[in-house]
Amino acid sequence: MNKKLMLLPSLVFLCFIFILSALFIITPKKDYSSSEKRYLADFPEANISTVTDGSFEDGFEEYLDDHFPFRNMWIGINAYCNYFIGNNGNDGVYKCSDGYLINQPISTQNRVNTNVETLKKFSKTTGIPTTFMLAPSTGYIMSDKLPTVHNEYIDDSVLDSVRSSLKGSKIGFVDLRGSFKEAAANGCRLYYHTDHHWTTRGAYTAYTELCNFLGTEPKSETAYEKESYKNFYGTTYSTSGFWFTPPDEIELWINRKNTEKKIDVTITEGDKKTEYHSMFFRNHLEEDDKYPVFIDGNHSVETIVNRNVKDGKVLVLKDSFCHSMTPFLADSFNTVTLVDMRYYKNSVSKLVKEGGYDQILVVYGIDNFATDTDLVWLK
Amino acid sequence: MVFSSLIFLFEYLAFTLLVYYIVPRKGRNIFLFFVNLLFYGWGEPVMVFLMLFSIVINYIGGYFVEKCKPDKKKAKIPLVLTVIADIGILAFFKYSAMIIDTINLLPFFNLPTFSLALPIGISFYTFQTMSYVIDVYRDDAPVSRSLIDFGTYVALFPQLIAGPIVRYKDVAFQLRHRRENILQFNRGVKLFMVGLGKKVLIANQMGAMWDAMQATAGHNGVLGNWIGIAGYTMQIYFDFSGYSDMACGLGNMFGFQFLKNFNYPYISKSVTEFWRRWHISLSTWFREYVYIPLGGNRCKIPRQIFNLLVVWFCTGLWHGASYNFILWGLYYGLILIIEKFVLHKFLEKLPRILRHIYTIVIFMLGWVIFYFEDMGKMGNFFISLFNFSDGIIGAEALVVASRYFLILLIAIAACTPLGATVYNKLREKKYIWIAETLFCIIVLVISVAAMVTQSYNPFLYFRF
Repeated sequence: MNKKLMLLPSLVFLCFIFILSALFIITPKKDYSSSEKRYLADFPEANISTVTDGSFEDGFEEYLDDHFPFRNMWIGINAYCNYFIGNNGNDGVYKCSDGYLINQPISTQNRVNTNVETLKKFSKTTGIPTTFMLAPSTGYIMSDKLPTVHNEYIDDSVLDSVRSSLKGSKIGFVDLRGSFKEAAANGCRLYYHTDHHWTTRGAYTAYTELCNFLGTEPKSETAYEKESYKNFYGTTYSTSGFWFTPPDEIELWINRKNTEKKIDVTITEGDKKTEYHSMFFRNHLEEDDKYPVFIDGNHSVETIVNRNVKDGKVLVLKDSFCHSMTPFLADSFNTVTLVDMRYYKNSVSKLVKEGGYDQILVVYGIDNFATDTDLVWLK
Repeated sequence: MVFSSLIFLFEYLAFTLLVYYIVPRKGRNIFLFFVNLLFYGWGEPVMVFLMLFSIVINYIGGYFVEKCKPDKKKAKIPLVLTVIADIGILAFFKYSAMIIDTINLLPFFNLPTFSLALPIGISFYTFQTMSYVIDVYRDDAPVSRSLIDFGTYVALFPQLIAGPIVRYKDVAFQLRHRRENILQFNRGVKLFMVGLGKKVLIANQMGAMWDAMQATAGHNGVLGNWIGIAGYTMQIYFDFSGYSDMACGLGNMFGFQFLKNFNYPYISKSVTEFWRRWHISLSTWFREYVYIPLGGNRCKIPRQIFNLLVVWFCTGLWHGASYNFILWGLYYGLILIIEKFVLHKFLEKLPRILRHIYTIVIFMLGWVIFYFEDMGKMGNFFISLFNFSDGIIGAEALVVASRYFLILLIAIAACTPLGATVYNKLREKKYIWIAETLFCIIVLVISVAAMVTQSYNPFLYFRF
């Protein structure tokens, strides 16, 4: 027996801890993690008081966690190890067939009822026609892609209870289940593989359903020129750590008549207003997560005016699902104002009154709607 | 700081090992003493002073015990004073809130309640310092001449926060005369890897399963609840024994040799045997410093029963300042008394498999008492273990169980000496180093991956 080789475990161990410790100390630090979309921890301030109250130590550990060498590689290893041991969905995302990464279903204990009641009260206050639409979850529509063992997607019971709770109220409810199931069965790609949103096709399908419900003519699909962009890595990709999943494609459906002269986009953040003349923010196509290409992602208030459309003024309470549908809405309404309750903290009814809106639209993904804690501040 | 953290492995341990082996032998205890304080004080530095205070008191206590020892009666005075001080510190920091709450239950009492942060590891190091003065008094160990050596013993980071409880007499010699060597170091690394794997790869996963089951408590079904508590049973063993393995392994790396703390407790065929295999350093401590001084089993049966109940009351209470721990201790006390005086002859006649099942059921139910601090929830959980009206297994519980099924099987296999038996057969083989090295690499890589992932939290609703 070779004595020296017997000591190999020690050598491996020592190399491992010394090399990684040293790498952590010497490698340059990133400020921002694009896969997590957050700024990484700074080196904590060290003085007598931060050291004695423990905040320096906590801060240092956070700093070490955030800047650990090869961080994404470790996360990938962990994700695949869990997957291969049978623990699919460990980080809240199922690795499904055909390269789908799908969020786990929402819990049966959710805020759907609370949020619906808020909407009902709000619709009474404004007295303006209100239409409500919930995007079904990916796992519900694409159920054939799910792993054998998975928690149940409760879209049916949620949507049924929403529908019955809205009966007798002034809010119209657009149930997308039928049309989405049908489109999916016909092979339409309604959801992204690596992102939790619906695709542009999904958004268009929802838009036509909405128009049918409102009794207006949807803009025909042939009015749009489609551009496709590769290498889209969305939110379920970055949450899951399944780095070997192939990237997605993202489509922009462009109405050539909506030239820069015809389109005004105003983004309001607090007191600051910025003007643009396109609903597509192509700078985001350079990033991994390309979804903010639609209307530049999340903002508290954003108004789109399309001078190709004569009338119609709609205010939309929405989450990010509405972003890819906005270009279609802008082809049916002269003015579309999007309000994101996660960031907008003032009175919406005042906004409605002052703006002279004739329609209110509520568009959410079912997962967000079930967990949203900001909508209750709607007044 | 805990062992299964990035900061421990990749900054603290790397630094400590490097400097420890650079420093000449004479300075090693002093160096260890200071890095122990760094380890302990990380996160709550104030508590270091409490530990230093405890070290100094016991050091002085030991000194006077030794000085008075020619007259045993006189030596008892510093001994008793020191032990009272130790128990007093422990009682004040760990149990005062519970004691006040209890007194307030009585009529006409309304003491102000307050809560103190529990100093980490205080239960462990207080028992170690107590063992020192008692060992010195009993002539089982020499008095420590050096405050630094004694402080190094009390604060020794491998066993500081989660044991094993190392008695002074077991390491007194090593403190001054240990000779680190590469073979022992290598053993230490392998043991540390085993412990790290137990903790990160099994205990944490089983804990996650138990937590997931808790989230749907109430409609998990009978089988679902049994699988849940099986998860907790696995979590607590692999967590604790993994920690002990890491402690012993780290001790080896610095030239210490600690006694084994767990010896496959879940393969026991009786509860008596279970407690000879579970947390051995604690049972030994109670036997040596409480049970035997009370008269042990060399007295009449009623007195023996009394002794056992006292020991098990204390054992339970030691685990935490909450009534369920006392209940848990007395539960074992009672079962051990029954086994000792009634059941043991009957048990011996039973087939092995039934004796295993009996023991497994007892310790699993024991963990229910151990887990639930809220008596109402505990009661509900006990009922749910036998209430078939909730069905066999709920839909969510089935999903959870199947996700963790493989790890649960691995955990169950790892509770038995199977792995050790195979290893011992192969260890003389020429190429065993390949298997050992591979094992280390796999455990390191997967553990670090799991540790890094804990800090990874994508923020989905970003904005700038």
